[in-house]
Amino acid sequence: MKALAIGMSNIRRMLRERSNIFFVFIFPLALILLIGSQFGGGVKPAIGLYLADSGELATEISDAVESRESIDSRHFDTEAALITAVERGDVQAGLFLPADIDTATAASDVVELGFVSRLDGTGQQLQAIVGSAVADVMKPVGAAQFAVAESDSDFDAALDVARSVGGQAGGVEVTVTAVGEAIFPDTLGQFDLGASSQLVLFVFLTALAGSAALILTRQLGISSRMLSTPTSVRSIVLGESMGRFGVALVQGLYIVVMTLIIFGVNWGDPLASFLLLVAFSAVGAGAGVLMGSVFSNDQQAGGVGVVLSLGLAALGGCMLPLELFSPTMQTVAHFTPHAWALDGYAELVRRGGNTGDILLELGVLVGYATALFLLASWRLRIAITRP
Amino acid sequence: MRTALRIAVKDLKLRLRDRSALIIGIIAPLSLAFILNLVFGSAFDPTEGLGLEYGVVDLDQSEISMSFTDVLEEVEADGIMELESFPDAQSADAAIEEGVVDSYFLVEPGFGQAVGTNSPATIQVVGSIDSPTSTQIAASIADQFATGFEAAQLAIATTSQVTSTPVTPEFLESLESEPRTAALSYQFGDMSAATRQLDPTTYMAAGMAVFFLFFTVGFGVLGLLEEERQGTLTRLMAAPIARASVVGGKAILSFILGLISMFVLVVATQLLMGAEWGAPLGVALLVVSGVLSAVGIVGLVAGVAKTPEGAENLSSIIAVILGMLGGVFFQVGQSDDLLSKLTFITPHAWFMRGLADLADGASWTAALPATGAMLIFAVVTGAISWFMLMKRLRR
Repeated sequence: MKALAIGMSNIRRMLRERSNIFFVFIFPLALILLIGSQFGGGVKPAIGLYLADSGELATEISDAVESRESIDSRHFDTEAALITAVERGDVQAGLFLPADIDTATAASDVVELGFVSRLDGTGQQLQAIVGSAVADVMKPVGAAQFAVAESDSDFDAALDVARSVGGQAGGVEVTVTAVGEAIFPDTLGQFDLGASSQLVLFVFLTALAGSAALILTRQLGISSRMLSTPTSVRSIVLGESMGRFGVALVQGLYIVVMTLIIFGVNWGDPLASFLLLVAFSAVGAGAGVLMGSVFSNDQQAGGVGVVLSLGLAALGGCMLPLELFSPTMQTVAHFTPHAWALDGYAELVRRGGNTGDILLELGVLVGYATALFLLASWRLRIAITRP
Repeated sequence: MRTALRIAVKDLKLRLRDRSALIIGIIAPLSLAFILNLVFGSAFDPTEGLGLEYGVVDLDQSEISMSFTDVLEEVEADGIMELESFPDAQSADAAIEEGVVDSYFLVEPGFGQAVGTNSPATIQVVGSIDSPTSTQIAASIADQFATGFEAAQLAIATTSQVTSTPVTPEFLESLESEPRTAALSYQFGDMSAATRQLDPTTYMAAGMAVFFLFFTVGFGVLGLLEEERQGTLTRLMAAPIARASVVGGKAILSFILGLISMFVLVVATQLLMGAEWGAPLGVALLVVSGVLSAVGIVGLVAGVAKTPEGAENLSSIIAVILGMLGGVFFQVGQSDDLLSKLTFITPHAWFMRGLADLADGASWTAALPATGAMLIFAVVTGAISWFMLMKRLRR
């Protein structure tokens, strides 16, 4: 009962601090919004287009490039702006369409289209995609030029004929089949991936940052004073742990509920999702109490906490999805509790699993939490009873 | 000035003894840069190609299907992709499964005959669902080959219509030039652009360095509030010391701490991680102007905040927002959207931009625009915070 009171007072302390409001409640949502809007639709290579005029063929070519699905295309107003964008990697390559393509082709001149790319990067590889789009548009033009050369007929008339004949000829069709199971299914919402990884990152970050509060409690002698009252060491240790756990859980629930309401994030089976959050909050709380009992300088603990929580989050797949890790790095990742929590969320969100499907992940997290709490309560007991 | 320096040196000794500054200024950015580089380094390198690996399965073995394989080999010779030949579709499917190839081209028996008789002929491109770009490039290569044939066929059909002559062997004989030339109505003039983008290792090293810089300089200027609370500031004011020396001393301390941290990080990431920072003079200009802008901005916080804790919290919030927006973790905004313009209200974005301009062996002068932008931040915020802090000390 006393432990509960200590825990509650810890949560109240956290909520009263104004900067906590920012880091615990505002910043995670802002980051989920930023990441979702930036990477939510997947990242496609981009082609920049510069049209010197808006002639018929130039427009057709640019439309054809834009219709290619696996690339994004962007228009630029000047040649220089397009070159700069290629240099800075804003677009991977650029296509320049010169003025008067229509006049030049009518006169049977060979049109020169500019393709700008860097020696490094993917630009040169993307030339094939641009090339096939251009070839499609220029096919009837070439046929008409050929007919004009062979028969002295009018170019525009020949072009009309070529366009109406096109498609009737046999031709070679290219079909595309995609095989395998998609890592990220189409049903995955724009904010789904970012939401679960930021939830894991921030719950752990806040829990570690909470170690500063515990250090202050010790430094100011509050723990010693609590001990002088008829309060057992066990109650204090339990209370401090429950405080950290409560803070982590409050933040986690807040992120889940708010992203559900604002961004419509899918969190999967509610019970399983909740259990996963509870287990991971316990891991975070255990780590926080351990830090709070090992360090005696809150500024140092703060610095180490930031490194640990960002470093473990990056290694555990909160900044880049685990599926994109190399096999070795995936093994390394699973030394962090983060990777197990994210595996659990992937099972719930992407494969529609329930509690039965994440028993392994839950088990590993509970194991982490138990080990951390045992270690932490041993250290904390020493720290607050040491004369 | 001498008093200011003496205050700065005294505080510097204090800060070096307390390990917090060391953790925030050097250990944190260095270890995070190392981890982030480990995680992101191989996954997204904008200075590397896609590493395209394709397979080809030619079950037709006709003249035309072999000419297709020849075209693929030419593309391979250009260094665009790597090609591997498979005896049947099953082994190629297995190669996709194992991740050995991204996609493969499948030419079924009867392809050559179909093309020869103007019947529908098909080249199949089979690709992994998780490599859409790679698959589209493969499809585009096949498309261009196909379009070459179609252009010839269309040229014949069009000429036949225009001249109202049926397509007979005699008609084909009578053509003056080769129908395939119809595909040559245009050509690409290739231009190569310079690289003004950082490789992931340097990006992470630079991003973490400038991100933590804003925390590191806090150990200087924000110490003023600490002294205010402890009462040592009142004692300093009672001594025959100009206010400017006290404020200046703290600013110099911030500047030195920031400079030491950045210098160690630049050298360490270069030696330990292989980061490529670019022309030393350019990097020095960016570092100095970056540190000055950080001192100015943190100085504003010191001027506004009421308590040391408040100042620390506010400066963390500002450092995190500016860092995130300035793209220290990942690039924010795309080419010319609103977000990408907004990112330049942060010194962080200018620092990263300046380093990117130095990439690929550019001369130090390439760093001048970004240096200028950061100096403007430094002068404006520095002047305002100087005024505010001097006023604060008068109380």
